[in-house]
Amino acid sequence: MEGHQRNLYLYERFNARVLGVSRDDIITLKYFAKSLDLTFPLISNVTAFLGVSMDVQPEGQPIFGRRTVIIDKTGIIRYARQGSPDFKNILLFLKKLNQEGRLDPTTGGKP
Amino acid sequence: MKRKTLTILCLMLVMAWLAGCATMEPPKKVPYRLSPQGTVIWEDELEFMPPPPDWKLLRVEVGENDINFGFMKSDAGGYPSVTSFAYDEEPFGSATKLEQREKEFFKRFLFNAILQFQILEKKKVQVVGGEGLAVTVEGKDPVKKEKVRAKVIFGKRGDRVVGFYITQWRPMDGTYDLSAFEIFDKFAASFKFLKKSFYETL
Repeated sequence: MEGHQRNLYLYERFNARVLGVSRDDIITLKYFAKSLDLTFPLISNVTAFLGVSMDVQPEGQPIFGRRTVIIDKTGIIRYARQGSPDFKNILLFLKKLNQEGRLDPTTGGKP
Repeated sequence: MKRKTLTILCLMLVMAWLAGCATMEPPKKVPYRLSPQGTVIWEDELEFMPPPPDWKLLRVEVGENDINFGFMKSDAGGYPSVTSFAYDEEPFGSATKLEQREKEFFKRFLFNAILQFQILEKKKVQVVGGEGLAVTVEGKDPVKKEKVRAKVIFGKRGDRVVGFYITQWRPMDGTYDLSAFEIFDKFAASFKFLKKSFYETL
């Protein structure tokens, strides 16, 4: 999460926004965000439907698996990687997407 | 004659054995080289003056394409007397302003050791071609009866903050070896970026 926070200015450059999703409750997430000085939104998804939809909810476990998902302007999942985020890879992918114009709100998703 | 033949046979066997070794274990490729000026050039990206040979090079395999190395020296005086220093591309925290990053950094620095830190000195310095911030602290663990003296130098590489840090652990009644801090200062002062970072090229 701290890595995403460091890269916010680059995400901004590539017209991307970052959201964290967790099964933790709001109070826990508030403390977590404060401890790491996070300024981007963290979503509390206690009922786990988002995790199920992204296939990161292991059966019978109270937490999500780690996965990075990039969704383009048109709602299509363009990137999904399991495990710890590979920030350089993510940034290169966002740069490419932005060059394609798919994340640029001014072009309405058209290159 | 028989003895000579035996000697030649032995020599041939030794040569064959050595040749076998050479083919079985190719020389390891290291990410650094020495310049004629005696500096280390790390992956054609960084240049710095290495510490004296009694400092051991440390490499931490934390991720692909990350720069992660440091130097370590065991000191006299038994456990936990050891000194290590490193360059860090991603010091704890995320702020791009040095003073703000310092506050974030010290919330996490040596977090697992649960130390009571005291700032001994904080001053502006010149590092990696720009303004930096050097902070010297001492942490004490009254339960384990250990202490640590550390210095952290924050500098900028493009928009991002990078860091250099040294930690020197001692038993509570031990004496610090400040000459190690001078070596660290020389290391940090000699540091140069030979090319733009990944983030600067985006």
